[in-house]
Amino acid sequence: MIAATPMAQQANHALPTGFQLDEYRIERQLSLGGFSIVYLATDAQGKEVAIKEYLPNSLALRGEGEICPTITPEHLPAFRYGMKCFFEEGRALARLSHPNVIRVLNFFRANETVYMVMEYEHGRTLQEFVQKNRPAITENFMRNVFTRLLNGLREVHSHKLLHLDLKPSNIYMRNDHTPLLIDFGAARQTLAADTPMLKPMYTPGFASPEHYQQRELLGPWSDIYSVGASMYACLAGSAPQAADTRLDKDQLIPAMVRWEHEYSDQLLETIDWCLSLNHLYRPQSVFALQKALTEPVLPRPAKREAGWIGQIVGKLKKKTASK
Amino acid sequence: MKFTIFQESRRGRRANNEDRLGYCYSRDALLMVVADGMGGHYYGEIAAQIAVQTLTGAFQREALPQLQDPFLFLQKAISNAHSAIRDYSSEQRLNDSPRTTVVACIVQDNVAYWAHAGDSRLYLMRDGRMLARTRDHSRVQLLIDQGAISEAQATSHPERNRIWSCLGGEQAPEIEFSRKTPLENGDVLVLCSDGVWGPMPGELMAMSLKDANLMQAVPMLLSQAEVRAGTHADNLSMIAVRWEDSYFDQTTSAVSTKTMPIDAITTHLDQFGRNPAYKSELTDDEIERAIAEINHAIQKFSK
Ligand SMILES: Nc1ncnc2c1ncn2[C@@H]1O[C@H](COP(=O)(O)OP(=O)(O)OP(=O)(O)O)[C@@H](O)[C@H]1O
Ligand SMILES: [Mg+2]
Repeated sequence: MIAATPMAQQANHALPTGFQLDEYRIERQLSLGGFSIVYLATDAQGKEVAIKEYLPNSLALRGEGEICPTITPEHLPAFRYGMKCFFEEGRALARLSHPNVIRVLNFFRANETVYMVMEYEHGRTLQEFVQKNRPAITENFMRNVFTRLLNGLREVHSHKLLHLDLKPSNIYMRNDHTPLLIDFGAARQTLAADTPMLKPMYTPGFASPEHYQQRELLGPWSDIYSVGASMYACLAGSAPQAADTRLDKDQLIPAMVRWEHEYSDQLLETIDWCLSLNHLYRPQSVFALQKALTEPVLPRPAKREAGWIGQIVGKLKKKTASK
Repeated sequence: MKFTIFQESRRGRRANNEDRLGYCYSRDALLMVVADGMGGHYYGEIAAQIAVQTLTGAFQREALPQLQDPFLFLQKAISNAHSAIRDYSSEQRLNDSPRTTVVACIVQDNVAYWAHAGDSRLYLMRDGRMLARTRDHSRVQLLIDQGAISEAQATSHPERNRIWSCLGGEQAPEIEFSRKTPLENGDVLVLCSDGVWGPMPGELMAMSLKDANLMQAVPMLLSQAEVRAGTHADNLSMIAVRWEDSYFDQTTSAVSTKTMPIDAITTHLDQFGRNPAYKSELTDDEIERAIAEINHAIQKFSK
């Protein structure tokens, strides 16, 4: 028998606008994730900051009009354990001071949970940017954005940290098109591999094969796979085939094939290089990858026809135009 | 046919996992099954295993590539599974025949057909909401239907595990069938055992699965259910499928069966992973220290 059941909203409620949180005033909610809420707030000097509130949906519920989340005694151990993971993100970021890595300003405890205060950045995620500005994804854009982003990643790696969750939605684009790394939530992975509620979460399409199979092989090359996948996604507009299914049957069309003549061979080869399934065949360091991305593009014969899809689209357009 | 599917089963806090699950598909039809076994001495898992194997076996023989009559198929296969469990227990001379619930669903021509006996559930989610679900064959469900107790009271009711229909018992199972239910692009079907739905409201599952990547969302939901259930966590099993018939981009992990030969069948039964219990909590002191340490690092590295 089928029965429709009434809906009850279960998502967490954000703190209200105007709420005085420690020395900050909440302006509005920026995002709601499964693990946290991000707010725009202002500090005592009126400067804008972004504040990430630890609030795992499954363990802590904040109803409408409430300030402190309800955490039942049975969930408290898991809630506290997850907090450790949130601290890991804070620890990782606190040690990094780099123009291409989001800056942490403060960390504090309130409302029975914890908060991470970050520099507020004007912009949007690379994912949003790509979706809204497809024509802007030129050869130069790709090289500029990723070379700078790699500066940030180099800094991460030089602190013996791995990001492990690089993807366009965790890369932030300032309005001046400089990229920065946000969301080091995956730092929790190392720690969380053995807790059920915080099981390592990798994003299919962006996570390297090692993420799925042999986690002891994780290294800078794993983040490099994710950089390659992110570059691929910028061109494709969607995530590439996930590494685990590629291991089964690799159906990923190489960038070289898919965008030949639209971007330089050298850029496309570099993307394919990063996306090698075998970690040993990828660039082994961010530096090696950066070198490939900053090498001058070889002069190429005058632009030929776009790929076959481009040709068909071109023809269709002409037809409708002539009507 | 185009869909994304993911399944996972966990032991929870129980000594062993008596849930079994599996799916298989041909070019034109998909079958999913979840069975939750009961009975001492590991026989519960055998009953569940027999149920899943009987259904997937029948599917492999009959879905070539379509089933003639999906409801008839479900009815026959579930009855056969019941008989197979009875046969097994008489061969083994078991006094107390092992039993199992079953919930099974066929999708063919973009229409879903499901059937169940016991308290393993099927949910149909659309746009982040629960559109339909099976009614448990349990005492508490009867009490709820009579208005004697509320849904909320049911979750802690001492008799919540008592079911009046199952496979393998003295009496033949009462099998309840759905209607033919046309699917829309983006619909999510969830089959799960009570270890999942007990601690996890269906609304929450529906929201979490909306537009989510199933490979991430299913493990996350299981983890959440496990945490919510705490030390009493039962075995947890879940299969979720997102129907994506007109989904365009082929570079996702979606399964496209168009290129499969007519007689090919792909079957996935689950292997059982072990799940270490999570580590101990933080004390108030440790929290204060962690915060102080992070703030110290912020000061030190900000120059
Ligand atoms: N410092 C910041 N400045 C401006 N916007 C930010 C900042 N930090 C986060 N955001 C916004 O909030 C969104 C979510 O942030 P983030 O990726 O850190 O969290 P999340 O993915 O929800 O995290 P989690 O996985 O921990 O739940 C970002 O996509 C971005 O739009
Ligand atoms: Mg994020």
